[in-house]
Order: sequence, then C-alpha cells, then structure tokens
Amino acid sequence: MTLTGRFVALLALGVVPIVLLGSTPGRAAAVLGFWVLALLGLGILDLSLAGSPRKVALSRSLPSRVRLGESVTSDLYLTNTGPRRLNLMVRDAWQPSAGAGNNRTPQVLPPGERRLVSLSLTPNRRGERRVDHVTLRSFGPLGLWARQATLQAPGQIRVVPPFNARKHLPSRITRLKELDGRTSLLVRGQGTEFDSLREYVRGDDVRSIDWRATARRGDVMVRTWRPERDRRVVVLIDSGRTSAARIDDEPRLDTAFEASLLLAALASRAGDHVDFIAYDRRVRGRVQGAQGAELLSRMVDTMALIEPELIETDWPAVPGQVRAVTSRRALVVLITSIDAAGASSALLSVLPQLTRRHTVIVASVTDPTTLEATRPRGNREEIYRAAAAERALLDVARVSAAIRRQGAEVVTGSPANLPPALADRYIALKAAGRL
Amino acid sequence: MSLPTQTVSPTTLNAASSTPTLREAGRRSRYWLLAGGGALLVAVISTVLAAGGGVGGQPLEAGSAAPAGARALVEVLRQQGVTVNTADTLAEARSLVGAATDPTVFFFDESGYLTDDQLSTMSALAPRTVVASPDFLTLQTLTPPVGFGGVSSAEESRSACTVTAAVKADGLSPGGPTLTIPADAAGLTGCFPSGENAFALVEQVTADRTLTLLADGTLFSNERIGEAGNAALALNLLGPGDELVWYLPTIADVPGTGSPSLGELTPGWVTPTMILLVLVAVAAAVWRGRRFGPLVAENLPVTVRASETMEGRARLYARSSARLRALDALRVGAVQRLAGQVGLSRLASLDDVIAMVATVVDRPPADVRTVLVDAVPGSDSELVALSDRIQELERATARATTPLPPGRMDS
Repeated sequence: MTLTGRFVALLALGVVPIVLLGSTPGRAAAVLGFWVLALLGLGILDLSLAGSPRKVALSRSLPSRVRLGESVTSDLYLTNTGPRRLNLMVRDAWQPSAGAGNNRTPQVLPPGERRLVSLSLTPNRRGERRVDHVTLRSFGPLGLWARQATLQAPGQIRVVPPFNARKHLPSRITRLKELDGRTSLLVRGQGTEFDSLREYVRGDDVRSIDWRATARRGDVMVRTWRPERDRRVVVLIDSGRTSAARIDDEPRLDTAFEASLLLAALASRAGDHVDFIAYDRRVRGRVQGAQGAELLSRMVDTMALIEPELIETDWPAVPGQVRAVTSRRALVVLITSIDAAGASSALLSVLPQLTRRHTVIVASVTDPTTLEATRPRGNREEIYRAAAAERALLDVARVSAAIRRQGAEVVTGSPANLPPALADRYIALKAAGRL
Repeated sequence: MSLPTQTVSPTTLNAASSTPTLREAGRRSRYWLLAGGGALLVAVISTVLAAGGGVGGQPLEAGSAAPAGARALVEVLRQQGVTVNTADTLAEARSLVGAATDPTVFFFDESGYLTDDQLSTMSALAPRTVVASPDFLTLQTLTPPVGFGGVSSAEESRSACTVTAAVKADGLSPGGPTLTIPADAAGLTGCFPSGENAFALVEQVTADRTLTLLADGTLFSNERIGEAGNAALALNLLGPGDELVWYLPTIADVPGTGSPSLGELTPGWVTPTMILLVLVAVAAAVWRGRRFGPLVAENLPVTVRASETMEGRARLYARSSARLRALDALRVGAVQRLAGQVGLSRLASLDDVIAMVATVVDRPPADVRTVLVDAVPGSDSELVALSDRIQELERATARATTPLPPGRMDS
C-alpha cells in the first residue's frame, strides 16, 4: 500500500478551510479533524476500489543475446485476470547494468486483456544480465492510494563482447588473400605448398621460373605457391589477477577478447583451426573444434560469462592445457600482461616447453598513459612520474627481451592497437611459413 | 548478429507474488503483534493498579490517602457533621466562605504560591483561620512578631496554655519545628512550649478573628494524626463551625505578569495548521519513501587502474627524493630512444651511443656523457635542469636525424 502525491496535496490543501473557518482553536481543531477523517475515508474507499495487482499474469519475450553497446527490446506482456480494471505503474526490475533507464511504465489494463510493456535495454557490462521480478502499483479510481505487489517474472539476457575490432577484419582479409591461393605467391618459403604452374608474364620473379616445366612445354613457366592451410592456432587468455586491471577504461581481459576474436575470425578465414581457452587456475572457458561463423558465435558466448579472477595464474599448468588441445605443431597465442620481471617469471619459466614444440606469441596490453607520462617534465612531480613511467617501460622491454630470448614473439599495444597488431603478426608468421 | 528469441509461453496463470498479502503478513508477524499487545496490556494493568492504590497527591490534600495526605482527618470531620469543602484558588475559597454562615478556613501553602496581599485577603475571609506550617512570608504578613524557633528536642509536648483546643488535646507529638513569640507580645498565645518562647501552636485573637498558626502541618497528616493528642487538637481547631474550607493554593493563584503570552496572541487556527503540516510531512514521507519493490542486487567487478603501480612508484621516488634513481630511469629510456634514432641497435653499448650521438648533434662526447651518465643531481632544481638537458639532447638528435614515426612500445 502506498500514497500518491495527489493525496499529500489534498491533505496540504486543508490549510485553507482551517484558516478560513477556524476562528477559535476549538473550531479550527474540528475542521482539521473533519478534513483528515474525510481524506482518510476517501483514501480507504479508493484503496478498496483499486484492482488487485496480484491478479496479473506475466510473460516475457527476450532476445537471448545482445552485443555490448547495442540495444535490444525487452517485451513484458501483462494479462489482467481479475474482474477489475487496473490502473498500473509497472516497474520491470532489471539489474542496473542492463541499462534499462527509466523502467517505470504507466499502463491501463482492462479486465481480461493483455498489454505489452516494452523497455529498451542498452547493457553497459558484459555477462549475464538478469531480471527477477516485476513490481506493480495499482492505483484506485481517485488516484489517492495504491496497492502494490511484487511478482516473480524471471528473465535473462546474455551480453556478449562487442567485437569492435571487426572493423580491422576486411583489410586483414585482403592481405590474407594476397597470401592465399587466390593471389598466388611466386616466392617459395617454408610453410608454403605448391599451387600450380602457369605461363610467365612480365614482372614475375625470374627466380620462380620452373626450368623443367619450361623445357617440357617449350614456353616459360613459373611455379606458384600458396600458404599452408589447416594449421592450428591455440589462443590462451590469462584470466587471472592481472587481467582485471583497466586500461583506457577497459579491463585487460576485454581487450584480450577483442584481439582473440579478430585473430580467430582471420585464422578461420585463412583455413586454420582455432581453439580458445581462458585459463587462470582452472579453465574458465573453452571453445574447440568449431569453424567459421559457429566459431565466433561460440567464442562470444563463452567469453560473455568470463570475469577476471583475483588469483595468480598457474603458468606451469599451461603447457599441459595446450597439449590437451593439440599434439601437433601449432601457433600458441598467450594473451597476458607483461609488467615486471618478478610477475612474469612464471611465464618465462614455462615458455621453453612451449617454444620447443610450437610457435608462440605473447601478446600484452600496454598502458598508453605510461608512454604519455614520460613526456611532461615541467616540475618535480612530473619528473618523478616520468621516471616511474620510464622505469615501467624499461621493465616491459626487459621482459619482452627475455621472452624473445626464449624463442617466442612479443606483441604489445594499447587497447585499440593490440587486436590489429596481433592480426598483423599472425599474417606475417603465415607469410613466413612459420605456422 | 542473428538474435534468436526465447519466448515464455503466454499463460493466464497469475504470476507468483513475493509480496505477502495482509493476512500472510499478519500471520508472519503474529508473534510480535501478540507480544506487543501483551506488553501493552501488562503496562496498562499495572498503571491502573498503581493509581488505584491512592498513593500520591500533595501533602495534606483533603482526599489523599497517602501517608502525607489528610483524608483521615477530613473524613472524621465530615462524620462529626462538619461540611468540608476544598478550594484550589483564592477566588474559590472566597466564594465558598461567602456561601457559608460560620466558616473555618484551613490554609496550607507548601509551595508558597500566595503573595502578601493574597495572604492578607485570605486571613480576613473567615472568623477562624488555621494556618499549617506557615512560611516566612506568611508570618511577616499575618503576625509580624512571630518568628521561627528551630526544631524542638523536647521529649513530650504539653498544652500549658489556655487555648481551648490545646487544653482539650492536652498533648501533642513531641519534636518538629516551633514558632517563637516575644514575651511582651499582646494578643498572642503560645501553646505546647518546648524551651524558652518556642511553641508548637500560636493563637492570635483579634476583635473579630482568630488566627491559629500550627508550626508543624504534618501533625494533621494521615500518618501522624493518630499520635498523642493530634487528632483532638485538629478536631477542636477545625470543628467549631459547621463548615470548613480546606484551602490548598495551587499554581492558579499565581497572578499572571507582564504582556500576554504568545499563545494568547496567536489566532486559533495556528496550532491545527501546524498539526496538519506535520501530518502532510508524514504523508509526503510515505509518498516519496515507499520503495517501488525490492532492490535489485548485482555483483560489480572491482576497478583496478593499471597505471596505479606507476603512480605509486612515482610517489615513492618523490617521497624519498630518489633523484639519482629517477634520473637514471630517465637516462636509460633516453639512451634507448637515442640509440634507435641514431641507427644503433637496442643492445649497443653506452659508449657507442654516446659517441654516435655526439657526432650527430656535433657536440663534444664529454658533454653528452655528462648529460647521459655522469652528472649527479644535488637538488630538485638540478634534477629538473638535467631532465631538461636530456630532453633537449633528444630533440636535437631528432632534428639532426630523420624523425621516425612514433612506434609502438615493442618497436
């Protein structure tokens, strides 16, 4: 039960008769008593005439998934099963991160009829956004008092990573095509396979002329090559403690998702098999054996529920995880953070096990504010800040050098740069035939 | 992205409610309702029982059965045929006296409400006036010669005078306060002496009035009326006439002073309006404060800014004034950038870098070496100056070589 502003205003209006008619204290008190009792009576009458908010059937229609940053419509159908007309205020109690905005909707519900209450949801956080109940406030015909009930109406919507990096995909696919059979290579390298023989045209590299075929055909022939296909790419994301840090208002983990989605889209287009693991001390998400559109769909679905865990990543177990995915040679992409020698020692100690069998890329998000902090040196504080930033950069450089010495590649970049940088490195490795 | 739709099948079943109905809420809170009601009942009963005991009331109140009251005396007087009327104000006492033919006034003013004028008026009301426990103002006004005599330590108290009532009583409870009268005072009779000129009872007889001062009013209380000759004294003092006015002044006797109070000046509607405003405030609180359903809980992730370690290290440098350490960090970064700018590898030795930079910017190598290695900052201002020189050297090198586009951190 609750009151409305109209009731409060009417009660306050009682000042007028009290001042006008209440010449003596006794008469004024009588007017006051009459006014309050009359309003109470009206309120009780209003309340008894209001329809029961419990006599409502609810059903929902929700899209199961939405990309972060996009809007969807949440539909809630209300059916009045009671005998009275309902004058309702509806609150659809979504979690705040679901971005429902003002979730109070006025609605008139005649008996036996069904009405739709639509809310536009713009979730502002990845993961599963839920709604458990709907609160209805049923006003009486006078709009003085209201009945209120909270009804169970569960629903959920999965908010998947936005994959903003997909804007980089077309240009990378074009470059991939240049490598691919569609644009045949004239340069043979490790990791390419023979594609075809064709006639020499001006501009072709003379080194690619196949003299044996030329002799056979009596015409100058060149061999073309194409990159190897059906390689394996294992993307392992570190979802441990360090992935919770925010860079440019985006957790490291989300940048890692963007980078791995771009890489997966590209690699799957290039005909490679992509496996995805999110790991800290246990597997938080795994996608294996999916191809094409299904791969991306399963990856975003898995990623939606992964949150950074505030525990240290168990690096010694990582080679085992990779071995569980594939025993063949593969490209292993570890997306983690390279901060300081101390924090990265566990990673460094297991890298040789991986580099012995696989090609390894260690990708890390770096903080652009660190780079910016090295420049302003106007006063004492700024100089100390610049020194600390230089120190941090030096640490990153040292760890990167150590990783390279172990035989792995290092890719670093700001949140905006890391996904395309990783894709470029993949293309470079593929072109070099190192997969 | 294709968005599959999950639709809950439409149903006409009412949704389950998590808000309890009035009956459910009542059942749920039944224990507390019963407990509260029981506690209230016990409180009411005990209050009623306590009030029924008649304890309380002010001393010598005619209807009070408390030890300090005077109900015993008044009841006996009534049985003896004396009409006892109680008065709370002087005006009331005056009207009661005016209506009677042969009244006696019993006066006891414990709190000293009356002024000297009112006291004079009171003493002139009736032919017989008995004043119990007179205070200083009363004595000064009514019988100026009489003074206070201190507390009696006598073992017994005999009448030893000619006042009829005292003679009939013969003895009083010993002890208690006394009054003194000077030896040469005319018209004053002291009874029940205890020491020199100290009496428990003083009677002043003038032409048409008799004023009796009883030093200790508690002699007439329920508790002590039965002792010695107290009862006889009381009955004989108060019972000669048919009517007795029992006058205990109250706050109503205090004359109002000064200008009229705020309450008298305000119009009649002010208080009800204020009550109404309070009610409006309560209603508005309910209107705005009633929650629209339960709160929705959500687990939010922690926010850790990645640059916090860097900022923390900068503050540590600043707090400990680690100038050389800070400068070395700046120098290492600068040397690495310079090496890149002059076309040396990252692993080139420091001497090579210095020699190359000196060549590029056309400065003596010792000068470059001072900036990049040797100089030790002695103060913060020197640190700032050295940092400026490092930057200047970097800029000069950048000008001298082809400026490279800003690369990523790994390049």
